[in-house]
Amino acid sequence: MFEARLVQGNLLKKVLDAIKDLLNEASWDCADSGIQLQAMDNSHVSLVSVNLRAEGFDKYRCDRNIIMGMDLTSMSKILKCAANDDIITMKAQDNPDNVTFMFESPSQEKVSDYEMKLMNLDQEHLGIPETDYACVIKMPSGEFARICRDLSQFGESIVIACTKEGVRFSAAGDIGTANIKLAQTSSVDKEDDAVIIDMQEPVTLTFACRYLNMFTKATPLSPQVSLSMSPEVPLVVEYAIGEIGQIQYFLAPKIDDQDN
Amino acid sequence: MGILGLAKLIADVAPAAIKENEMKNYFGRKVAVDASMSLYQFLVAVRQEGNMLMTADGETTSHLMGFFYRTIRMVDNGIKPVYVFDGKPPTMKGGELAKRKERRDEAQKQLEQAEEAGNVEDIDKFSRRLVKVTKTHSDEAKTLLKLMGIPYVEAPCEAEAQCAALAKAGKVFGVATEDMDALTFGTPVLLRHLTFSEARKMPIKEFHLSKVLEGMELSQKEFIDMCILLGCDYCDSIRGIGPKRAIELIRSHKTIDDVVSKLDKKKYSPPEEWPYAEARNLFIEPEVADPDSIELKWVEPDEEGLVKYMCEDKGFNEDRIRNGCKKLAKARSGTTQGRLDSFFKIIPQQPNSANKRKSEEKPGAKKGTAKRGRGSFRKGR
Repeated sequence: MFEARLVQGNLLKKVLDAIKDLLNEASWDCADSGIQLQAMDNSHVSLVSVNLRAEGFDKYRCDRNIIMGMDLTSMSKILKCAANDDIITMKAQDNPDNVTFMFESPSQEKVSDYEMKLMNLDQEHLGIPETDYACVIKMPSGEFARICRDLSQFGESIVIACTKEGVRFSAAGDIGTANIKLAQTSSVDKEDDAVIIDMQEPVTLTFACRYLNMFTKATPLSPQVSLSMSPEVPLVVEYAIGEIGQIQYFLAPKIDDQDN
Repeated sequence: MGILGLAKLIADVAPAAIKENEMKNYFGRKVAVDASMSLYQFLVAVRQEGNMLMTADGETTSHLMGFFYRTIRMVDNGIKPVYVFDGKPPTMKGGELAKRKERRDEAQKQLEQAEEAGNVEDIDKFSRRLVKVTKTHSDEAKTLLKLMGIPYVEAPCEAEAQCAALAKAGKVFGVATEDMDALTFGTPVLLRHLTFSEARKMPIKEFHLSKVLEGMELSQKEFIDMCILLGCDYCDSIRGIGPKRAIELIRSHKTIDDVVSKLDKKKYSPPEEWPYAEARNLFIEPEVADPDSIELKWVEPDEEGLVKYMCEDKGFNEDRIRNGCKKLAKARSGTTQGRLDSFFKIIPQQPNSANKRKSEEKPGAKKGTAKRGRGSFRKGR
């Protein structure tokens, strides 16, 4: 028996909005410690890793580890049926063919049940090594979304350069070039608005706008985003999911071609 | 052509070996393309009102059209193609080639009949069957590729075998051909439909040899023997033995030699002179050039040269050729998108973990814990 009840059902709705553009289907691994999802997009350029801790739920029970393969478009359709203040409960049997979503209105006057068929997905799991990144940039998530959106008008890729002065985002294309520089916030009045850079060595990497723009779909989840970079390794974009977990996006950098 | 019914057999027995993918997901991949097959394909398919495209002097240009646009389509999607041309056919293929000639003669007769009867559909059908790839065609294609800056390789013998050798040596990611015998030659990844027209909207079919062998429970040697039983280009097969029976026989007897000795001679009679051992040798040790001696270079297209060749000599539209050149040049500029699997290692799935309903693991066995490996990135250069 698996059961997870979340009073802030809104969070689950936002998680789905944050992943459904990138992934068509994915497996949710439910265990004693919580729920996890890890999947690459079709082209194997980016990877999404969602972690929801058991303690974050208002009620959590998982007797046996189960893997629930879901069509995320369908799951998103079902979650669209939940109101923002609804309490969401996910339920499944030990060897499930179906998963049940139950939405309760705060006043308990309306209860809806939705059942969805599960899929048997053959997915590859990637081992992600724990890494000390050369640069970790924390910034307001809205600001990051804005930068990605603005720069994607100029070209297909964004160069992120992090130095001790600050972080520079730039793009170049047919219409011209664009540069946005953010300096580290000197006085921290409001923590959510601060830009904080933790840097061991300067890093400059190039990434595809298309993916960054899909990552910023997670912006409503958290006021802050963190970008972790090291030379020649994938970028990590991380958002907190309320108090209950986090969503991480990994994106392979663009590399110079050796054959040309 | 290729191995009889192999694609269908793989779909039945080892469905996990086939993946469908969009062309844009192959960005950055180097792919060996069987040029001889493409030539044939273009001559058959690239037509207008049932006739091949021609210059004012009546020279065929269908193949050039095909090579130019389909190559650009690949390059536009970030794929780096290298074309492999056939050399001389192996002597073993004589029988097959004679048969093909017979079929062509037959088609010629039918075409004449159809022309007499004035049946347009039949004329079209039979004239397609009459297509023959000549040396001029392949020489013209080579000239075009050179101008486009796309590398090509001349195989000493069969192109599929050379493609397979390139893929095995890791020079290319996979082999693009419609001929399934590329798998028999040991191609790790075979791509079908890569040279098809965009308009057909065919997804690319990826066949993984390792998964084919796993699904069929055969070794590569046994797989080769099974392909010979199915029917290859080099020798006959046993009458009355279809795909189902072929895989069963090889699974239980391992080699054709044993299959033959155990076979009920009254029911099935192997061909009298059956050079299966030689055919097997052709698959195991085909005549190929050493892949390490081949250097693949994708260079800047020669726009003026292309315009001169394609427009002045072959009568193509200059604007279109120049446009194509721009696409080729654009694809060369800039950087290539990396892939996550080249940074993170795939954790092998525990057997049956995908098949959760069947797995009878002990309660409390933790599946999720293997997810995060430890270690560190390779840093810097």
